[in-house]
Amino acid sequence: MANAASQRVSVADQDVDPTADRISWEFGTSAEEYRKLIHYLPVALWQVDTRGASAVFDRLKAEGVTDISAYLDAHPELVEHAKDAVRVTAVNREAVSLLRGNSASDLVGPVRYVFSATPDLAKRVMVAHFEGRRNYFEGTRIAALDGTSVDVLFTVTYATPSRALDTSLLMMIDIGERLKTETQLRQLQADFTHAARISMLGELATSIAHEVKQPLTAIVTNAETSLRWLAREDVSLQKLKQLTTRIISNARRAGDIVQRVRGMAAKHDPGRASLDLNEVVEEALLFVRHDIESWSIDLSVRYGAPLPRVTGDRIQLQQVVVNLLVNSVQAIAQGGGLARRIELGTSADGDGSVVFCIRDTGPGIADENLERIFDSFFTTKDMGMGIGLAICQSIVVAHGGRITVSNHPDGGAQFRFSLPSGVAD
Amino acid sequence: MAIVDDDDDIREALSDLLLVVGLASRAFDRAEALLAEFEPGAFDCIVTDVKMPGISGLQLLQRLRNLDASLPVIIITSDTDSTIRSRALEGGAHVHLEKPIEDHVLLLHLESALAGKWKGPPNG
Repeated sequence: MANAASQRVSVADQDVDPTADRISWEFGTSAEEYRKLIHYLPVALWQVDTRGASAVFDRLKAEGVTDISAYLDAHPELVEHAKDAVRVTAVNREAVSLLRGNSASDLVGPVRYVFSATPDLAKRVMVAHFEGRRNYFEGTRIAALDGTSVDVLFTVTYATPSRALDTSLLMMIDIGERLKTETQLRQLQADFTHAARISMLGELATSIAHEVKQPLTAIVTNAETSLRWLAREDVSLQKLKQLTTRIISNARRAGDIVQRVRGMAAKHDPGRASLDLNEVVEEALLFVRHDIESWSIDLSVRYGAPLPRVTGDRIQLQQVVVNLLVNSVQAIAQGGGLARRIELGTSADGDGSVVFCIRDTGPGIADENLERIFDSFFTTKDMGMGIGLAICQSIVVAHGGRITVSNHPDGGAQFRFSLPSGVAD
Repeated sequence: MAIVDDDDDIREALSDLLLVVGLASRAFDRAEALLAEFEPGAFDCIVTDVKMPGISGLQLLQRLRNLDASLPVIIITSDTDSTIRSRALEGGAHVHLEKPIEDHVLLLHLESALAGKWKGPPNG
């Protein structure tokens, strides 16, 4: 017991030599003192007598069984047997509290109760033991004695084969709070991304209004022209047909714009569609063309000849392109330089990935900021929130790609992202 | 008459509106295209959009004033930005209209811009 407890429990499931970096704890001479320490450790501990399993293991090894996992699948009764044959011989105070027992005696006896919420865990613990590992760990759920369940990090430190005593040490750390926090964080992150999209939409509202007014103007004028034709004696049906057709196509155009805006605002899981990056870029340009023209920026777009398709979420990738464009426009606007130019292009990379590159003639990025540029809330803009580029990065990474930033030798910032090509699975 | 707008659908719609009221027009997709062909007397009136790639509608207005100060220019825009309106009027535009435009309003202004050269639409 003394040896087992002082042995370092490695979180890595590998063979760690406990003597290699062990601190030589001095517990005085009293075993009683040591027992007290274990008892009051703020970690739930179980001392487990595994002799019941060892006998079975010895027999299987003698029979030449090597693939223990497959063997136990074929003989589930062995796992059931072990659950009763392996016994808890002692537990500490924290273990009683974690599993909401009244006293240590509630937890002493066959180990079966430990596995009641996750029966497969018993098999995994046995497999690791059979294979001679020193530790086994996993995040799992354990049934408490009051019928509730507890999320724990579950670890087993097995007895070393050389020792006569077949005592393993089982340890559980309550991670319920941590899991709850993680869930909340994920929720927060989702809300945050959503809010960021909405705020970006606010910035782009003028642009969208401009885009919708174009087809709307065409619709109104074509309709008014139709009425004027109808008022004439020489009504041309052909002309009316043409005007009506134009009204329909412009109404569709307006509808598409609205659809796209709604798509950008929608909170949804990333889709996995087969996409042409050139189309994504073209659609994204719709949202920023107005801004680009307002600032009299010269935009040059170079689409790479037929690109291999990428798999991903159209709206999210559009958002990356929009954010990078808005970023460039703002850099140029804030920089106030004479050259006002944005160059963007797409291409196929040698390694099968598809690349988007954008360069502006803004002031570029200070060297000390290059590394932080994709961090959340990092901004050098007066009105910026510092989320645009952070969102770009998380979207690109979620698509299995990479985004980088550099300063162009001739001035201005240069962003480049690449996405692996391939079809949706 | 000349119409300058980078939006194909709006160019077509305006051309047809002018056609039905008996006004012949030519359409240009950007200011540069009009300027390349421009000579005084070729057009009685210019209707132009503001935001276009290259030379903007307001810049076009300025150039046209230098080429032919008497040529009326009607500015149409989808912006609600009041500075564009004031810049257009200060720059000598005949009128500034916001998209979507109402046909009778446009035609009324055309009638006054063309000062007797055109008697207005057949049915008022």
